[in-house]
Amino acid sequence: MKKNLPPSELARDSRFVRSTIMDAIMDPRNLAMSERDLGSAKLQPGRPAAADRARNLMHGIFTGEIQALEGAGRTTFDFDDDEAPFALKLDMARQCWDESRHVEISVKLGDWMGTEIGEFNEATFLYEAACATDPILRLCGVNRALEGLAIDVFNTMREFGDISGDPILEFCEDWMLADEVTHVKMGSDWLRRLTENDPERRERALEFQRGVDKLFSLGGFRGETEENPIQLARKLRAMAGFSTDEIDEISEISVQAQEDARAMSAGAAPSS
Amino acid sequence: MADPLKPRPAFAPWDRREIPGLFDVEESARRVGIYKWIEMRLFETLGGWVATVPELDVKLVLGRHCYHHAWHAELWDKRLPELREMNTTRLTVPANDAMEEFMESIREPEAPELTIEKLVGVYRVLIPRKVAAYTYHLNATSRITDAPTQRSLGFILQDEHADWTEGEMLLQSLIETEDEVDRAARRQVELEKMVLRAGGITGPGTLGEVPESVGAQVEGATA
Amino acid sequence: MSHSISLTPEAFTLVKYDAAELLAIAEAAATSVGVPDDVAISIEVDEALPNPLIASLVDDVDGTLTCWFTGGTFEDPQRQAELQRDTAKVELAAAFLRGRDRLGGGFEGAPPDGEISDRQRAIWDVYTDGRLARQGYRLNQARRRYAYRLQAGFNDVADAEYEQAWVAGAMSWDALLAVEARLADADPRPVSKKPIRRESLRPS
Repeated sequence: MKKNLPPSELARDSRFVRSTIMDAIMDPRNLAMSERDLGSAKLQPGRPAAADRARNLMHGIFTGEIQALEGAGRTTFDFDDDEAPFALKLDMARQCWDESRHVEISVKLGDWMGTEIGEFNEATFLYEAACATDPILRLCGVNRALEGLAIDVFNTMREFGDISGDPILEFCEDWMLADEVTHVKMGSDWLRRLTENDPERRERALEFQRGVDKLFSLGGFRGETEENPIQLARKLRAMAGFSTDEIDEISEISVQAQEDARAMSAGAAPSS
Repeated sequence: MADPLKPRPAFAPWDRREIPGLFDVEESARRVGIYKWIEMRLFETLGGWVATVPELDVKLVLGRHCYHHAWHAELWDKRLPELREMNTTRLTVPANDAMEEFMESIREPEAPELTIEKLVGVYRVLIPRKVAAYTYHLNATSRITDAPTQRSLGFILQDEHADWTEGEMLLQSLIETEDEVDRAARRQVELEKMVLRAGGITGPGTLGEVPESVGAQVEGATA
Repeated sequence: MSHSISLTPEAFTLVKYDAAELLAIAEAAATSVGVPDDVAISIEVDEALPNPLIASLVDDVDGTLTCWFTGGTFEDPQRQAELQRDTAKVELAAAFLRGRDRLGGGFEGAPPDGEISDRQRAIWDVYTDGRLARQGYRLNQARRRYAYRLQAGFNDVADAEYEQAWVAGAMSWDALLAVEARLADADPRPVSKKPIRRESLRPS
């Protein structure tokens, strides 16, 4: 079995249909919608089409968890003993178990909400964060960026469950949130340990993470304004080891990502 | 009421444990190092396979079992210094070249249509071999002096049996045609012959016997 | 075509729907739910609004069934901007069935769709889907139940009312209001969490 499996080779059964994030960003309807006053984009039970928006997000969580599982699994395999410490690989194996469980929970929540496996398409940009050849970059991409996004998404869904009075959704999202905080902390701790005497490597890793965070802001999907369906979960991120400066930076990156997406949709060139 | 000062034997009448065991400290450490190596290679393989199998239930089981074997490796890693092996990487090695070759073959299938081959290697060859070796070790080592190893073996065997059952059930549900039966059988035969050449997962003497025909051929055979 | 059906836009520019195909699906849906031939149907599709922004409105405007849909209502969730024919037929049939309810099915006194509450609409949707299911339409009942529960509440009373509405062969607007009242009595969520729909995807 080769190392470093590319996203195009992620194995799926016939129910899954692949899409790309660029398709979503370049959808001509984005520009049309941006010119309309559709009110807050926050995911809330009182908003129009709340049920279907929640189902769509839940399916996105489901496919995201599959990719997180695959990413953690590949990290246990792709690095030899001299490239990644044994203890790091043990943590990744533990993450495999956790993500496997999250997929199971997501399937059950899908049943609860009436979402079928493969009902929505799947983009593999989450797994792409797990494709770096330096284990530290991979940890930053997966454990800090991807799992950080998971904290934001699960917190939004948990609040949605709480406000709507859905006991199952709130219960499940809260349990998954606990695991994700652990995963992010794992990433933060390993980043610190492995780059203690290598500030350049640390900066490279954080730069990679910024790029992934921008990608994961998905043209305004995540942020701190009314235009963002997913809200940045500051308190939980702090618990997971993100500094205030880092969280502020993600917020700024999200704003930039939204502006870039608008510009791309309108045909202009994006910022760097 | 019993007299608290009355002498009692150190071993209660129902505690029939005795000192002698077949393994000294070095032999126990040697085996534990090999176990750790196998568990590491196995959890890496299962983790790597998750992204390559299209079957959703298999993906999830591999993710879960990956952690089980990683935890086993961790238990063995912690046991080694207790067996006077402070450099835990020194004994974390395959029993011999044939065993290394066997593990390479176990992890070799990659294509999405080879789920049967992947699972047969682990659940019809490797894990049954591990169950045998662990059970032998559990029965053979001193119940008093090597109790910590026995304790770890007890927990690990519980996982192995459960995972073996789950893997076998997956295989039975995946094998639907005679052609697939043949595929599974071919894969099993191929790998069994390799592990036979290795003399078992800890080399010749894995289960306490050293067949003359194998013992003379395999390098690193125990005395 | 036995029904007079108009479609706006006449040609789609933001999505890959074929107007003629959508009209044909609408005709089949109208026939299947028994919309009288002499009832005109007007369909407006807001193609700027994608899946999962699924929403529809239907009113009786001077005897014409006037329907509004988001483009996302007919969209294949797996294939961006492409038509999902089976879904389109179900959604059109559901809208036309509610339109029939307004024309003479007991809902003549119901306020326009833009003025009814989310909870009222949720009950009506369950009643509609139950009838469609008995006609042989393939529906995702779990989806309907979840959407209903979001508005009606996650409790035993709401679930019991759901079952009643699903199997109901007939219902009136007044009966629906009675269901709504029972749901409100049983709902432990604070009132502020259940606003009358003030916001709509449809531009006013």
